[in-house]
Amino acid sequence: MEFSIKKSGINSLYVQASGRLDLDSAVEYGTKIKDTIEDSEETIKELVLDFSAITFISSFGLKVILELYKLLKNQEGVLKLKSVSEQLMDSFKMVGFDKFLVFE
Amino acid sequence: MFKTVKSKILITAILMLTVLMSAFACYTIISRMKTKQLMVQNYVFSVDKFVQDINQKIIKYEDNSRDLARIGSLFYQTDRSIDLTNKTIVQIFENYPESLGGGIWFEPYVVDKSKKRLCFYAYRDKNKNIILDESFNSEEYNYHNQNWYKQIISKVTPENNIAWSAPYYENQGSYTLMITIGSGIYVNNKLIGISTVDWEINTIIDDISKMKPLEKTFSMYQNGNEIKNSFALLGTKEYDSIIATNDPYLKDIKLIGHSLKEIPWYADNLYGITYIKYHNKKYIPFYKTLRNGMVFVICVPKIEIFRGINNFYLNMLIVLFLISIGIPALLYLSMNLYIIHPIAKLTDIAHKISNGEDTDIKIEKPEEFAQLATTYDKMTRNIKSITQERARINSELSIAKSIQTSSLPNVFPPFPNETAFDIFASMEPAKEVGGDFYDFFFINETKFMFLIADVSGKGVPAALFMMTVKTLINNMSQMNYSPKQLIENINKKICETNKEGFFVTMLAGIADTKTGELNIINCGHNPPLIKRKNETYEFLELNPNMPLGIFEDAEFEIYNTVMNPGDLIYTYTDGVTEAANINNEMYKETRLHDCLNNIKETEAIKIAQKVKKSIQEFTESAPQSDDITMLIFKYIGGANEINGENEVNNMKTFSQFVTQENYKTFYTWLHDACREWNINDNLTNKLDMCAEEIFANVAFYAYPEKNGIIDVTLDKSGNNIVFEFKDSGIAYNPLEKPDPDITLPPEERPLGGLGIFMVKSMADNIYYKRENDKNILTLVFKLDEKSGL
Repeated sequence: MEFSIKKSGINSLYVQASGRLDLDSAVEYGTKIKDTIEDSEETIKELVLDFSAITFISSFGLKVILELYKLLKNQEGVLKLKSVSEQLMDSFKMVGFDKFLVFE
Repeated sequence: MFKTVKSKILITAILMLTVLMSAFACYTIISRMKTKQLMVQNYVFSVDKFVQDINQKIIKYEDNSRDLARIGSLFYQTDRSIDLTNKTIVQIFENYPESLGGGIWFEPYVVDKSKKRLCFYAYRDKNKNIILDESFNSEEYNYHNQNWYKQIISKVTPENNIAWSAPYYENQGSYTLMITIGSGIYVNNKLIGISTVDWEINTIIDDISKMKPLEKTFSMYQNGNEIKNSFALLGTKEYDSIIATNDPYLKDIKLIGHSLKEIPWYADNLYGITYIKYHNKKYIPFYKTLRNGMVFVICVPKIEIFRGINNFYLNMLIVLFLISIGIPALLYLSMNLYIIHPIAKLTDIAHKISNGEDTDIKIEKPEEFAQLATTYDKMTRNIKSITQERARINSELSIAKSIQTSSLPNVFPPFPNETAFDIFASMEPAKEVGGDFYDFFFINETKFMFLIADVSGKGVPAALFMMTVKTLINNMSQMNYSPKQLIENINKKICETNKEGFFVTMLAGIADTKTGELNIINCGHNPPLIKRKNETYEFLELNPNMPLGIFEDAEFEIYNTVMNPGDLIYTYTDGVTEAANINNEMYKETRLHDCLNNIKETEAIKIAQKVKKSIQEFTESAPQSDDITMLIFKYIGGANEINGENEVNNMKTFSQFVTQENYKTFYTWLHDACREWNINDNLTNKLDMCAEEIFANVAFYAYPEKNGIIDVTLDKSGNNIVFEFKDSGIAYNPLEKPDPDITLPPEERPLGGLGIFMVKSMADNIYYKRENDKNILTLVFKLDEKSGL
């Protein structure tokens, strides 16, 4: 998978990714984002994950999303998921993530 | 702590001791008091005796005086023919060696009208010679005017009265203490003079002090010792003067003639009753009046009177105390030795035996306990053999039970490749070996028979009969009979083998796996519940047939119906509806009906689990009295669409090492297959998610250390996709993992455990088994209009 992390404001990040968020890619995806948040001089209060080009998410991907959610919550920030397809939404619902995640 | 025999005996012994001791103490006190009284009484006798002796002496002195008076009288009557002057007086005094002197004194002019004074007086000089003293006749002395004469003459009337003078000091040079005893001289009742006898008082005192008034007291206490420190007193109340005393404390004081009141221990009229204190010592006084009016008091130290008594009673008390301790102690010790000790020993032995230790029961004495021990030993050996026998029976029963249980098919799913139906059955045996059973098998290629039955009665006979029936049904069913023929033949055979009068209720179904046709036979069994797809469970009330094994010629009615895919039949035995709680209420059909209709799951195994849970919640701790048996058959259908050609074409396989690199190859293979079979994106997505999870699981858990091969088949048969994963790694059943709680707030949710939960949620059916050292996980997905094709 390919992805880019951009600063979209003083304390907000925007992550654009495409392809599968699975066993193969989830760990790298999560680690990169976490490192960026931790290395940032400003405290990140908003993380937007663009899902418009994500075609698949597995339990490994979901695990990373939960990790990121907890990280943001710890520094009083918000995790936002943008343009999640209906098909992927089913996966979120299956594990009850739709109850606390913010979808745009 | 007061509950043991030992403590009770101890308490009894202490009580006994107390009672004995107080009885002895009372006895001692009373007896001591009585003894004291007796001893005092004894003293009273002694003192009385002593006083009698003194009185005897007094009589003697008085007799002396009377004798003189008689001589005086004779002198007068014989007209002075007796020569008093020289001989007679002297002779008389010789008869009374203790008197100091004495005389005869006549009244004026009585004897001789011319002589006013006439007297004869003699005395003993220092050499005890008797000398006649005529100087008293002198005019100067004029005895008629002397006080002593006046006193005596006034006291001797009437005749025979004796006059005792007050004590006085002799003034003739010796200054000894004297006392004079006088008598009247009477002639024809006329007083003509007096006689006098003078005594030295010391003589009397000597007499007194020589007497040992207390010599003969209780020999027991006397020990032959002289009573010491007793004081005596002689006095006259008439003149209130002390005559004599031997009080050592007073000896230097000239008390004689003083008032009696000056004697500190003088007691008037006290006689052995109370005690007085003198010089820090207690004395008991004995007061006596002598015949001449004098008083005599003797004071005896209390300690002398009761000498020995205290020691005696102290000794007695010690002896009694020892007895009152000794008897209970001896009693207690012997009880302890002969009763408590054997009991403790027996208890110890019983304790050891109850702990399963092997120990000798042997008590030699006392006799009773020896017998008890022998009996005990016999009993223990009996119990041992009974227990061993029972253990043997129990173990045989549990073997029988496990044989019975294992004879029922208990591996689910029983036919992993069979997709036309879903079946689950279970029997939870009651404590005893019961008569419930179930069975299912293919009669031929497409016909599948399932049955649930209950043999009347319980225990080993019912279980053996059940095994016979089960085998019989299984064998008969292979003979290509029609359902009606089959059931009637089974009945006939059961009747033939049934000599003990058992009968069997049974509910059997014969399903056509291709068409869904179902023949149901109810032989006196509980009505099953049928659930049509998207409808509720309802009881299927059929015309009841006879239970099997009653009449050989019985005819059976068969109920025919068609199962559509998703239809389900729930069968059970009366152990379900008659399961009772502690209040003896039964679970009943209504609860079963309600319970089933509240179950959302449609997999047979889950339905069974939920019903069992509901029964458990109802019965709680009440013991299970009957086997709880149920069998659930769910028709899925679709087998009819399978044909030989498709089967090969519709199966894809993947076999590779489980590595990170191969994962991409794996999901590419999966997507290719889905595309080829026109499976829609939604299902493809699900298959992909499951495939990834299982692939990762195999990598993590089955091959944690080395690389291994995963064999995957994707099989599209009928309306089902069967997705099977095999690996040769460590045995690992992912279905055993508990489901995560997806209702938890995100902060509390663990990161792991999601994957397998998602797999379970997505697959319509999922099975795990371990076969030939392989983990085999099978997922079944149903194809409907939405999923593809």
